[in-house]
Amino acid sequence: MSDRQFTDEESVPEQGHDDVDPKGPDRESGNTREPLPDRRTFLKSAAGVLGLFAVSSCTWQEFFQKNFKQMTKEEIEGTIERLRTQYKEKYGKEFVVGAEGPIDGTLYAYGLDIQRCIGCRRCVYACVEENNQSRDPQIQYIRVLRFKRGNMDLEESTIYYNPEEVPEQGYYYMPVQCQHCANPPCTKVCPVQATWTEPDGIVVVDYNWCIGCRYCMAACPYMGRWFNFAEPVIPKDRINTQTHYLGNRPRMRNVVEKCTFCIQRVRKGKYPACVEVCPVGARKFGNLLDPDSEINRIIKTKRVFRLKEELNTQPKFYYFFAI
Amino acid sequence: MKGKNRILVVAVAALISSTLATYWGLLASIASAQPYVETFPELRRDLRKQLEPKVKPGEEFPVPVKPLPKDISPCSACHGPKKDFPINFRRKEALLVHRNIELNHGGVRVWCLDCHHPEERNHLLPLSDGTLITFEHSYLLCGKCHGTKYRDWREGIHGKRTGEWNGKKEYYLCVNCHSPHSPRFKTLEPMPPPSKPWTPKDESAKH
Repeated sequence: MSDRQFTDEESVPEQGHDDVDPKGPDRESGNTREPLPDRRTFLKSAAGVLGLFAVSSCTWQEFFQKNFKQMTKEEIEGTIERLRTQYKEKYGKEFVVGAEGPIDGTLYAYGLDIQRCIGCRRCVYACVEENNQSRDPQIQYIRVLRFKRGNMDLEESTIYYNPEEVPEQGYYYMPVQCQHCANPPCTKVCPVQATWTEPDGIVVVDYNWCIGCRYCMAACPYMGRWFNFAEPVIPKDRINTQTHYLGNRPRMRNVVEKCTFCIQRVRKGKYPACVEVCPVGARKFGNLLDPDSEINRIIKTKRVFRLKEELNTQPKFYYFFAI
Repeated sequence: MKGKNRILVVAVAALISSTLATYWGLLASIASAQPYVETFPELRRDLRKQLEPKVKPGEEFPVPVKPLPKDISPCSACHGPKKDFPINFRRKEALLVHRNIELNHGGVRVWCLDCHHPEERNHLLPLSDGTLITFEHSYLLCGKCHGTKYRDWREGIHGKRTGEWNGKKEYYLCVNCHSPHSPRFKTLEPMPPPSKPWTPKDESAKH
């Protein structure tokens, strides 16, 4: 304790202003205070004004945009129009930002034949191209794990294998991506409900509503979510302009993204990009509610398992053995 | 004597009643088992309907026709009853032509004329009802040996399909992925592995 503290203090209520600059106006005037705001109030209002300047980089509509689930049709249209102009400025191309709803009577599920997968990573790069993922820092929704034959320990698998040719003798491969759980832990922990399960079973993120807290990433046992630590970099000539609001529209910094079963494709009836590109036909996709769909036939007639089933996440991603 | 008879009657009655009591549940269930008997065949029929393929064998599949390579002439230009090359059902390694074809399908069990028609050279061997199989519909011939694979392919489990998950699809035929002469799937060069996450120790890694 210094002497100064005792000598400077004149009254009890002013003890809280200990850190105030002694040369300030209310100091010099002693007990008779001028109507100037004290430092705390001033800082508060200044912070408010500064905050408004800070948000001025995004438009008013963007700042007051609602959660996608609560938007009316007009609001969605306005948002899409704003996004399209924004993307045109950034990438110089006309974008299609869809907001198609789920098709009635659909519940999507995925099948992957791990006996057939050869680990060529074609799916990984088709997904990157289709879903406008950042090239640097790198984001890839699909991880292809390589296991030694007879081993199912995830800890002993690797994703960095790089042989001359695949498949390698004595190894098998298991691609892992978002499992679109029926009981998803990731959506439960989101403090702002920026991620949810759509009626057709796709787990989506509203990138504009995401606050980037990454709770969902901590909750996901499959490492199926990715965070944009920096502004995503996509080459302008490789951008995919056919987008969906909840899917592959270009993301911003500080938001979480994930596999959406290519929502922009499947809601128009097309197969996801990874299914289309797989050279061995190991990837299957279909509607669980249709008894004649490929995925239903697989579940009925083949041996299937789901990853980390014991966690009760109830994934809609079935690994199967066709033989 | 009378007392003995009475004891016997009582014993028999007790036995019958205890038996009845034991099996009464079973008797009752047999009497009331009608619904189970009724539903079971239905269930089985349902299951069979589910397992039955949607497309009947012999019906046309919506498959894209894979055109033959342009550089080969019709087989019948050289092969045929009136042509010079005799029909040879036995394996012959030292061929003058078709040296580009590496036959690696089923070892010594399979030879050219196990798939190709010996007389109708522009066709493959016929189905059991005598209909000739064209090269475009070679999957019918493949299915003659690889029946389980054929069934899986027909249901969309084996092989690849592109297009629409709920609409028009393109089926990849057997020969789109497997060369009929050497059907083992060829190895591929993998795409590059993902970049490793940046760590403070790893100076060279880009972050």
